[in-house]
Amino acid sequence: MGLAEKFASIPVRELNLREMPTVDKGASVRDAIEVLRSAQLGCAAVMEAGKPVGMFTESVLREAFAQNPGVIDEIVDSHMAVPFPKVYLDDTVDMVLAAMQANNTRFICVVDSEENVAGLTGQKGLMEFVAEEFPRQVLVQRISEVSTNSRREGA
Amino acid sequence: MANSNPPPIPDDEFSDPLENYDAPVYADPLEEALATRTVTDLAAQPCETISADTSIAEAVKKLVSIHHACLLVEDEGRLAGLFTDRDLLDRVVLEFEDCRDQPLRTVMTPDPVYVSESDCPAAVLAVMAVSGFRHVPVLDADGMIAGIVSPRRITEFLLEHSPSE
Repeated sequence: MGLAEKFASIPVRELNLREMPTVDKGASVRDAIEVLRSAQLGCAAVMEAGKPVGMFTESVLREAFAQNPGVIDEIVDSHMAVPFPKVYLDDTVDMVLAAMQANNTRFICVVDSEENVAGLTGQKGLMEFVAEEFPRQVLVQRISEVSTNSRREGA
Repeated sequence: MANSNPPPIPDDEFSDPLENYDAPVYADPLEEALATRTVTDLAAQPCETISADTSIAEAVKKLVSIHHACLLVEDEGRLAGLFTDRDLLDRVVLEFEDCRDQPLRTVMTPDPVYVSESDCPAAVLAVMAVSGFRHVPVLDADGMIAGIVSPRRITEFLLEHSPSE
């Protein structure tokens, strides 16, 4: 089975999903930043009554911060992406790709059939999927000589 | 005058070094594109660069003005680092009043992993999968900045070369 065929047949639940950080809708932007820093991720789900109602991302933060550096003391629900990009656990991997392109984002929220947050996927998850499925094409590639072991995700 | 050409190899001594070479077989156009195209098919040009000596406040303005998530930081034309949304999140937004006038080099991501123009797109995926970098600088044969591969561009590439597209 080729890579494209796997994209079209393998469900999202088989990707290496990350735990989605969450913040309450009433939290401050500062609280959300602390959550993202702690998780070393660039995206958190904004929650209300246990369900995701939006996403707070580093790109949303960039635009808001540029308008007003004091935004960090405002409430996060004024600065979240709504509607937010999501896929279901049983969607196929190519739907992650399509959602990333349609929303110009690298973070996709994964939800179960009852709309509960099931995880986080996106660019990193997709690249890991490709690398695991096709190590001969990907993992043997030469990259620059800087050690990568201690690097965090995100730059 | 001596003849500089090597003597011909007798037919019965010639051995084709590629006699047993099997060309790679790719299951679909996407795999083939990942392995056989070059990074130049992916890289955005011109890419946005900024000096490592620029103040953090100016760098934030530039990052926002271009509506991209990454600037390549250069030092005398050489790649010195990246300044990205993640650096802004991790090291700037909560500390802005204290750090706004400091040089960008104090908060950038130094020594980023890069690829060369002649590398294949799979090399970019390797950087993204293994190192976690999502913006991958491209250097030319002289080690100078030639471009950058963004997450959006790699997503477009994967979609462009999927058979259903």
